[in-house]
Parts: sequence; C-alpha cells; structure tokens
Amino acid sequence: MNEFWLKLGKNKIYNTLLKEPLTYIAGAVLLSIFQIAHLSVFNSGWGVTGTFANWGAWLYKLVGGDASSWSYFASESAQKTLSSGFMNDGGSIRNLGIIVGALVATLFASQFKFKKIKSWRQVIAAVLGGLLMGYGARLAGGCNIGALFTSIASLSLSGFVFGGFLLVGAFLGSKLLVKYFM
Amino acid sequence: MKEINLDCLGEACPIPLMKTEKKMEEMAVGDVIIVAIDHSCAMKNIPEWARKQGHNVEIEEVDDGEWEIIIEKTK
Amino acid sequence: MSETNVSTIRSTRTRTPRKPKKSQIPIALFVTILIIAFGIYLGTYNVKLTTYWIFGISFGYILQRSRFCFTAAFRDPCITGSTSVSRSVIVALALTTIGFTGIKYSAFIKGNDIPGMGAVAPIGLPLVLGAVLFGIGMVIAGGCASGTLMRVGEGFSMQMLSLVFFVIGSLWGAHDMGFWGPKFNANAPKVFLPDIFGWFGALVVQALILLLLYIAAVKWQEKKMGTTE
Repeated sequence: MNEFWLKLGKNKIYNTLLKEPLTYIAGAVLLSIFQIAHLSVFNSGWGVTGTFANWGAWLYKLVGGDASSWSYFASESAQKTLSSGFMNDGGSIRNLGIIVGALVATLFASQFKFKKIKSWRQVIAAVLGGLLMGYGARLAGGCNIGALFTSIASLSLSGFVFGGFLLVGAFLGSKLLVKYFM
Repeated sequence: MKEINLDCLGEACPIPLMKTEKKMEEMAVGDVIIVAIDHSCAMKNIPEWARKQGHNVEIEEVDDGEWEIIIEKTK
Repeated sequence: MSETNVSTIRSTRTRTPRKPKKSQIPIALFVTILIIAFGIYLGTYNVKLTTYWIFGISFGYILQRSRFCFTAAFRDPCITGSTSVSRSVIVALALTTIGFTGIKYSAFIKGNDIPGMGAVAPIGLPLVLGAVLFGIGMVIAGGCASGTLMRVGEGFSMQMLSLVFFVIGSLWGAHDMGFWGPKFNANAPKVFLPDIFGWFGALVVQALILLLLYIAAVKWQEKKMGTTE
C-alpha cells in the first residue's frame, strides 16, 4: 500500500498540484482572492491577533483571573465573544484553520517534520518575540494582516503608517538577530 | 576543490541563509557547500539567493521535510 | 527549481540510502476527512463558523504552499537586500485594494453601510509604537502573526512556544490599552482616503504609492544584490 502512495507522490501532476511550492506571486493572487471574498462574506477583513487577546482572556480565566471587566473588553460584542467561548468564536475557528491548513499542506507534500527547539537562544527569541508581537499588535490594533494587509486594502492611511514603522521595527529586529540570535 | 557541510537543521528563518552567505564568503571558487535544512522557507530562499549570485545550485529532498542544498561557488 | 537525480555539481557526497520511506499522503487524507468532519460539526450549530473554518484552512494552505511570509517582506531587504517577497506583498495589496474598493463603493452608492470600516484605525502613538514593537518581535521570533500560525502547523516547536507568549503578550496589551487608548487614541485621526481624495482619487493615490514602493523595491534589490533575476 505504501508503494502506491509513494508512487503517487512522485507523479508529475501530483507534484505540481500538491507538492511543488507555489511562487510568491501565486500566493499573493490567491491570498487576495480569499481576502476579497472574506470581506464580501463577513463584511469585515481578515485579522489574526484580535483573537489572541480573547485566547489570553480565556486562558486567564482558567487560572482564576477575570479579564472581562477590563475596558478593552467593554463593548457588547466583546462581552458576547468572551462569554460564548472558543467554539463559538469565528476568529478562533479561523485561526485554528490556518494551523490545520498549513499542516495538511505539508502532509500532502510529505514534507511534515516536527522540529525541536535547538538552543536556549531560540527559547529566548520565541518568548521575547512572541511577547513583543502580542503587545505591539494590541497597541496598533492589529498585526501584519489586520493592521497592514487589511488596513491598506481598505484605503486607510493607518495601514501605510503601520507599514512604515513595521519596517523600522524589522530593521531593529534584524540588528538584534545578527548580534544575539545567530 | 573543497567540500563543506553546513548543518542548519532546526534553525529558524533567516539563520540558514545568513549562515550560508557567511560560509560562502570564506570559500574559494570551485568549492562546494552542502547545506542541510528542514525549514520550508529556506528551501526556497537559499536557492533563490544563490542563483541570483550566479552560482550553481541544486536541491534535493532527502527525507520528509529535510533538504540538502548543494551550491558550487562559481565566482 | 530542479530536483535532479544526476548531479552536475562534482561532489564526493555519498547519497545516503534513504530509510524505507513512508508516504505521508494517507495521513494527509485522514486529516482532510477530519477537516471536513469538523466543518460539518460546526455547521450543526452555526453555519457561519463552517465558513470561518473554510477560510482559515484556505489561508493556511495558501500561506504554506507559497511560503508566503510577511516577516521576510520586511526583514530580507534589511539583511540580504532581497525584495522578491516584498514585491509580492505589494502585489497582494494592490489586488486586494481593487476588490475591497469595488465592494465598498458598491455599498456606498446604494446608500448602505460601508463594510470593513473597522480597519480604518486611529493614527496615534499606540499605532506607531505598536508597529515598531511588532516589527522587532516578528523578526526575532522568526514569524509574524500568520507566519507563526502557519509554522505551528508545519511542526516548528519554536513557533509553538512563540504562540503561547504571543497570546500572553496580547492579553497584557489588551490590559494596557485601557491606558493607551483613552490617552492617545481618543483624539487621533482616522484617515479614510476616499474622504480626502474621493473614491476614484483615493484609488489613484494608492496605486501611485504602491507603484512607487514597487519600483523602490526593485531598485533596492538591484543595488544590494546586483539583479532582480
């Protein structure tokens, strides 16, 4: 049986459809199509990090905290999202979908491999980087998707401002990366 | 004609590319470097970089999610 | 990209005989069934959630297949001078702008609420500071928001760790927005380009900005790497 799958995996058409990486431009076109469809279907653009704040609030609840009284979550829709939980939250389902979508993409290409953390430097980089992104995204009201991709496409000047300062941050981050994390 | 092995397994973007660049500076024309990676971005951006520099590049998938990029320094 | 069986590069490298390899396709099919099942399950109580699921799966699939990485778009110009990813982001921005504007304009002329206006954010200190912090973080962590999720799916434990702290940082940020928001965003301007330039004018202005950025990206790579292909 395995022979059959291996042979299928080597087939030229299979390769082109499900294994060979797409070009960046192809990715850009496909992402755009789905972004536009997203606005059409949901009346709002794609976003990723708004959901993370909700995940944080739910995790906080697990350890006995209560974030629902914070002013950030004061709006009616935020309260509703928090109280309805993960399995009722579109953003949470969408983010989970991204993880699983990427997983299935690698599996069809037989390219999945679990990669262990290699050094303490990677641990510090992941912790520090994650915290900076999480905090920064809440300040900016979004991330590379919400505050950049969706905002610019929405003809909002804020998207360009975000982009410009994102570049500044990336430059600083690159310097740190070379100096401490290589 | 030297052959160098560069193990970049488990490294995060853009470390494999940066390490490859650095190692190639020390190499002489005609030397070959074999970079082992398991990062899906690196299997795209390292060959792209090397080709832009004008070197001979080949890439081979050696296992699930693992590749070897063979670069011959041509200039 | 060639995967040749006969190497044209002289090398003494012995091709280590591969361990008997197991194709991952059966697992892929199994996961696909789970994906469909989960989608159906969501639909039993809220069909909208099934739609969110489909979009998430699609975005994740596309991102991974194309190795699309916003982090690389901003980081590579700083490190190697390469702007191939950057230029693709600009293309995505241009295409999406056209689609978005079509939808928004048609709502506008019908006298309906314009969808997606939540993306027009206040331009104030928190936006600026947040962008810088995010930029630093994404380069250090080896992935942005979408990139981190994508890499979790690819099996990178480093990004799994990053995600945990991404969530913690988000909660912390949400808390602090109780301070930042009222103080700095309350009076910060939200600039929707059609309000200033009209709908057509806004498209022209945006097209020009994106075109200039694209040209700058081409010139940058030529300067740093000598060639764009």
